[in-house]
Amino acid sequence: MPSWIDIIIRSFVFLALLLFMTKILGKKQISELSFFEYVSGITIGSIAGEAITGLEKNMFQGMAAIIIFSLATLFADILALKSKSFRDFIEGRGTILIKDGKVLEENLKKEKYTIDELSALLRQKDIYRVADVEFAVLEPRGNLSALLKRENRPLTPKDLQMKVPAEKEPQTVIMDGSILDEALRSSGKSRGWLETELEKLELTLNNVFIGQVDSYGELTVDIYDDKLQVPSPTQRPLLLASLKKTQADLEIFSLETQDEKSKAMYEKNAKLLQETIDKLAPYLSS
Amino acid sequence: MMTIATSVKQCLANIKGIEAQLSSLALNSNDKGAQEVFHDTMITIASVKKDLQSRVLELERLEPQYKG
Repeated sequence: MPSWIDIIIRSFVFLALLLFMTKILGKKQISELSFFEYVSGITIGSIAGEAITGLEKNMFQGMAAIIIFSLATLFADILALKSKSFRDFIEGRGTILIKDGKVLEENLKKEKYTIDELSALLRQKDIYRVADVEFAVLEPRGNLSALLKRENRPLTPKDLQMKVPAEKEPQTVIMDGSILDEALRSSGKSRGWLETELEKLELTLNNVFIGQVDSYGELTVDIYDDKLQVPSPTQRPLLLASLKKTQADLEIFSLETQDEKSKAMYEKNAKLLQETIDKLAPYLSS
Repeated sequence: MMTIATSVKQCLANIKGIEAQLSSLALNSNDKGAQEVFHDTMITIASVKKDLQSRVLELERLEPQYKG
């Protein structure tokens, strides 16, 4: 057999084997490499390379090595799931580098990190003053997690005691001009609804590149023709405006009328509407 | 001239529009919390609508020429 045919056969065999093994090992191998997984991954790759081009050797030896390495990694993963101490041993533990706003020099030395490297890691998190940090851990994977002091953290709606409505993830219902029925169903809409909404926007289905439905059941689209302006949904802000207008009208009526009974009625309803506006405002302002 | 009766009627029409929009929002929202808020406020708006409707009837009796 000519050697080039041998190489072709080996390449395809090992590609299939590697694909199969990576499927078994799962996503963890790429996203959260511990040092052990990192090394075993590299080893698997170089065994494959060696076995494909090393024609003088039997390729089944290489296959056996790859399978052993993959299974050992898999076995270590499973064991790490079961036992905490094994997990700490294999994957390592985080090292606290800053605590109560003070840098722990001992731990920094133990991890062989210089103060420059620590401040570089902090800068990657947009932190330029060590004094702003309450607590920082060097994770086993080499990245730094930092907790800022309370007063340096970004402001959230909770800090302002603001009420924000819950939001569901938008569903992509049109892609490349075709309807995705499954997404449409999970957003609780029908094809008929979608057609009406498109008609309202004066668009046809094959003009639409992406169409998404948000948690209020509003359709937003991106169309192929970028010169065309598509109106963004304004129903909710307009509704808020007309609520405010109606509330003001009722207050005016209550001032204008001479009749005591209707005055009381207008005042009561103006108050009711104000309460309604306060309740709806988080949902209607977008 | 704008009389009270016509402006109250206009206001009533606005209220009806608001009620209808809230009802459609309640039906179209996917989030349970939002659905509830839209539904509850729709009921409040409906009670405001009822009060205004009876006021319009009263005003029509007082100024019959503006009956429309």
